[in-house]
Amino acid sequence: MSELTKAIKEKTESMLTADHCLSCTSCMAGCPVMEASREYRGPKLVGPAHNRMRFSQEDVEESLDFCSNCKSCDRACPSGVEVSTLNMLRRAEYYKTHPHSQRDDMLAHGERMAKLVRSMPFGASCANLGMKIGKSLGIFKSIGIAGERDMPAYASKSFLSMFKDIRQTSSEKKIVFYPGCFINENDPEVGVAFVKVMQKNGYEVLVDREFNCCGSPLVVTGYLDEALEHAHNNVARIYHWKQQGIPVVACCTSCSLMLKKEYHELFDEPEMKEAAENVYDAFEFLAMLEDEGKLNTKFGSLTHHLLYHVPCHLKSQGFGTPAAHILGKIPGIKVELADAGCCGMSGNYGFKQDKYDISMKIGERLFERIATSKADTVISDCGTCRLQIQHGGHVEPCHPVEILAKAYGEG
Amino acid sequence: MDKATVVVIGGGATGVGILRDLAMRGVDVLLVEKCDLVNGASSRYHGLLHSGGRYAVKDQEAAKECIIENQILRKIGTSCVEPTGGMFVRLDIDDPDYEGLWVKGCADSGIEAKPITLEEAFRLEPLLSKHVVSAYLVPDAAIDGFRMSWQNVESAKRYGGRFQTYREVVGVLQENGQVKGIEVRNTITGEIEKIACDILVNAAGGWAGKVAALAGLEVGVQPDKGTLLAFNQRITNHVVNRLHKSSDGDIFVPHGSITILGTSSMSIPDPEDTSSSREEVENLLAIGEKTFENLRDYRMLRAFAGSRPLYMPPGGASGRGASRGFAIVDHANDGLKGMMTIVGGKFTTYRLMAEKIVDQICAKLNVTEPCRTAEEPLVPEVSENDKKEARKYFPAFGTNLAATRLGPERFARVADSLKNHPEKRELVCECENVTLAEVEEIARDLSSFQINDIRRRTRIGMGTCQANFCALRSAAVFAKYGQDNGARDSIGQMKQFLQGRWKGIRPVLVGRTLREIEMTRALYELSFHVNGGKKA
Repeated sequence: MSELTKAIKEKTESMLTADHCLSCTSCMAGCPVMEASREYRGPKLVGPAHNRMRFSQEDVEESLDFCSNCKSCDRACPSGVEVSTLNMLRRAEYYKTHPHSQRDDMLAHGERMAKLVRSMPFGASCANLGMKIGKSLGIFKSIGIAGERDMPAYASKSFLSMFKDIRQTSSEKKIVFYPGCFINENDPEVGVAFVKVMQKNGYEVLVDREFNCCGSPLVVTGYLDEALEHAHNNVARIYHWKQQGIPVVACCTSCSLMLKKEYHELFDEPEMKEAAENVYDAFEFLAMLEDEGKLNTKFGSLTHHLLYHVPCHLKSQGFGTPAAHILGKIPGIKVELADAGCCGMSGNYGFKQDKYDISMKIGERLFERIATSKADTVISDCGTCRLQIQHGGHVEPCHPVEILAKAYGEG
Repeated sequence: MDKATVVVIGGGATGVGILRDLAMRGVDVLLVEKCDLVNGASSRYHGLLHSGGRYAVKDQEAAKECIIENQILRKIGTSCVEPTGGMFVRLDIDDPDYEGLWVKGCADSGIEAKPITLEEAFRLEPLLSKHVVSAYLVPDAAIDGFRMSWQNVESAKRYGGRFQTYREVVGVLQENGQVKGIEVRNTITGEIEKIACDILVNAAGGWAGKVAALAGLEVGVQPDKGTLLAFNQRITNHVVNRLHKSSDGDIFVPHGSITILGTSSMSIPDPEDTSSSREEVENLLAIGEKTFENLRDYRMLRAFAGSRPLYMPPGGASGRGASRGFAIVDHANDGLKGMMTIVGGKFTTYRLMAEKIVDQICAKLNVTEPCRTAEEPLVPEVSENDKKEARKYFPAFGTNLAATRLGPERFARVADSLKNHPEKRELVCECENVTLAEVEEIARDLSSFQINDIRRRTRIGMGTCQANFCALRSAAVFAKYGQDNGARDSIGQMKQFLQGRWKGIRPVLVGRTLREIEMTRALYELSFHVNGGKKA
C-alpha cells in the first residue's frame, strides 16, 4: 500500500469510527479502570472526544496510559466505535516521540525472552529461579514491575516440544493449533488438553512453527510497528492454511481476538479481514461442531462445580459463552457464570507496578465471587485472567478445555 | 439619560468594527444590540476569511478588498483566525474554461493561486473526491465570528467604547431634522430607556431597513438566506472551494472541531427567519457530495441559517447576482442629519467597511485621528510561557483554544482557578473540552444573560452531543454565578438552551443525529422529567 493510500485510509477510518460516537457515556459507565481509579479520564474523552480536538495543538493525554485495552468500552458502545483501538493507535503515536521504559520493553517482548531462555540448557529452571531471586531482591519492582506478583514461570518443556511426543491418530480433518506465547511457554498442558479434545472429535492437530506472538503485548505497550510485522507474518501463515481449507484455532482468547479482529481494526488491511475468517477460538470451533451435530458428547462423569470467569477478550469476539454450554453437557458438571466483570489483569497491565492497585481493585468483584461461591474449580479461557485468579482469588484455575479433555476420559 | 457622541445599532461584524474604530480614535461611542453579539449573519455564516478567490471572476473589486483584508485580519486577529489555507478544486463535471478565467482573475486581483498536483491535493485533503481534475492553493482561512466580535469589543473597551446587548431600538429621537438619540427596549426586563447621541449609525445588517423605518427613512435591504450544515468532525484540513461559477453548497470550511458546508441563497421577507428545511439540507448534501463523495457517511450536527443583508439600490439585481459590495448612506440627504446607514458587504471586509464609515463620521465630528485598526492586534495574545505553565491544569488539547477564546486576563484568571481548585478542571462540556473554571468565568460576566451567551463565548453545547450533557451542568453553573436574576431560573434557562440546539438539529434529523436527539429526549423528558410536574 502506498503512503498516500495509507494516509487516506487512516484519515477515513479513524474519522468514521470516532464519528459514530454519540457521546452517550456508556463506555465510561462500562470502563472497569474508571470504576477503580479517578485518574483515567475515560474512553469517551480520550478516544472519540479528543479525536475531534486534536487539530488544536500538539498535546498528550497523560491518562491514556491507564487504558488496559480490555475493550469493555467497545462492547458497551451502542454505536460500534472502536474506542480501545483509537486508544492503542494514540498510544503508539505517543511512543513515536517518547522513549519506552525498560519495563515496557520487557513486558512487550516475552516471546524474545522465552527464545533466549529456551536456547540455554536448563534455561527454564534457571530463569524461574532467577525470577524468584529477582522478585525477592526487588529487582522487578525497581524497574516498575509489580513486586507483589510472581512472574509467570516457564514450563519445563514448551508446548511445541511436548507436541512432538504426542501420538495422534491421523485424520482427513485437520486444524492448525495456534498456542500463543502463554500456552507454549507457561501453560503447555492447556495445549495438550486441546489436542486430546480435537482427537476425540476426529481432528488431527497440526502446529505451525512459523507463527509468532500475536502481538497483543506489543500493541498495548505501544510497539505498533513491531506488532504490524507480527501481523504480516501471522496473516500470511493463516492464508497459507486457509488455501488448504485448514482452520487455525487458538485457546487463548487474547490471541484469537488479535488474529480475528484487532489486526484489521488497527491496521486495516483487507487481507487481515479475510484471514480472520479462518481463525477460531477453541470453544467457538467446538460450538460449530455441535451445531452441525458433530461434537463428540461421549463424556464420562465428573464431579465438579465450576465457576466460569469469561475473559473480556472472549466477550469481544461476540460468540457467547459456548464453553459454559458444552461443559454443562458433561454428567456431574455444574457451570456457574462468575459474571463479575473484568478481572483487572488485562494481559501485561496488571504486571505494571503503577497499575497494580487498579488491577487488584478491578478484580475485587471476581475475588469476592470466588470466595463466596460454592464452586470447587474456577475456569477461564485466558492465561493472564488465570494468573490474576490465582493471585487475587487464591485458587488454581484451569482452562475449560482441560475439563473437557478430562471428561473424555483416559486415552 | 445615557449619552454617547455616537450610537451604533447592531452588534454584528460591521457594528463591532465601527465600535472599535471609533473608540480607538477617541470618540465616545456606545453600541446597542437587540440580542447577544453576532446573532445575525456575522455568526450564521461559513466562518470563512475569503482570500478573494471566490470573487476573482465575477467581482474583482471585491476580490481585491478580500485579499487585502485577509492579510490584515491574519495579522491583527491571530486569536480568531485559523490560517488553514484554502484549496480550489475543479471536478471533471466542471467547466474547464472557467478555470482559465479564474486563474487570470486571481492574478489580476493579486491573489496567489498556486497550482498543485493531484497527488499533493489528495495528500493535503485525503477525503477529496477522485473526480477532482485540478487543484490550487489560495490563502483562504477560517475565522471565528464569535471570537472576532468579542475581541473587537474587548479592544474597544480598552479605549472607552461601550456596548449594551439585549437592547432593541424601538424609536429614533429627532428634532428639526437632526438625530437626538434613540429609544431602546431592554428585551429582558421590558423597560424602555432613552440614549442621547449626536450621530446614529445604523449597522443593523438584515434589520437595517427596519431601523431606518423607525426614523421614517427607507433603506433597501433584501435579506438573502443561506443555510449551512455543521459536521461533527474536521472533514477537511483546508477551506475547500469548488472551482466553478459560484453556486450553492460548494464551500467547506474546517471551523474549529467541525466542518461547515454551505451555503444556499434564497430571498426571504424577514431576517428573523433563520429556519432551515430538510429540503435545503438535502440540496446542500447533494452538491457537497460531489466534492467529498462520502459526505453522507459523516455525522451532521445541525443546520443553521443566516441572512446576508444585500443592499438593493433601486433597480439592482437580487440573490447571487446582487453585489456583495457595501454602501454607506448619509441620511442627511434624506432630510435627517446625524444618521447614517451602512449595509451590504461581507464578513471578510468588515474592518474596511468600518474604517470607511468612521472616516466619514470623524469628518463630521472634526476628529482627525487616523484609523489604526489595521495595525493594532485585536487582543494581546496569551504568551507561550503562560500557555506552557497553564498546560499543567488545562485538559489535553484545551490550552490553546481556551487562550484564544479568553485572552490574557481571563486566561490568567481561569488558569489560576484551575490551579488552585482542581475540582474546577472538571469539564462542563466534554465534546468541546470546556472546563468548569472557564464556564464560571463567562457566567459571571455582566453580558451573560442566557446560557446561549455563554455558549457563543466558550463553545459549550456546540460539539458532538449538542448539549445533552452540558445543558444540565451549565444551567447549574449559571444559576450560581450569573449576575442577572434570570440566571436563577435554571430549568427555564436549560430548556431555552436545549430548544436552541433542537432548532438546528431538526432539519438534519437522520441517522446518528436522530439517535442523539432520542438520547436528549430520554435524558431530559424521561429521566429528568423537565416538562412534567405541572398542574393542568
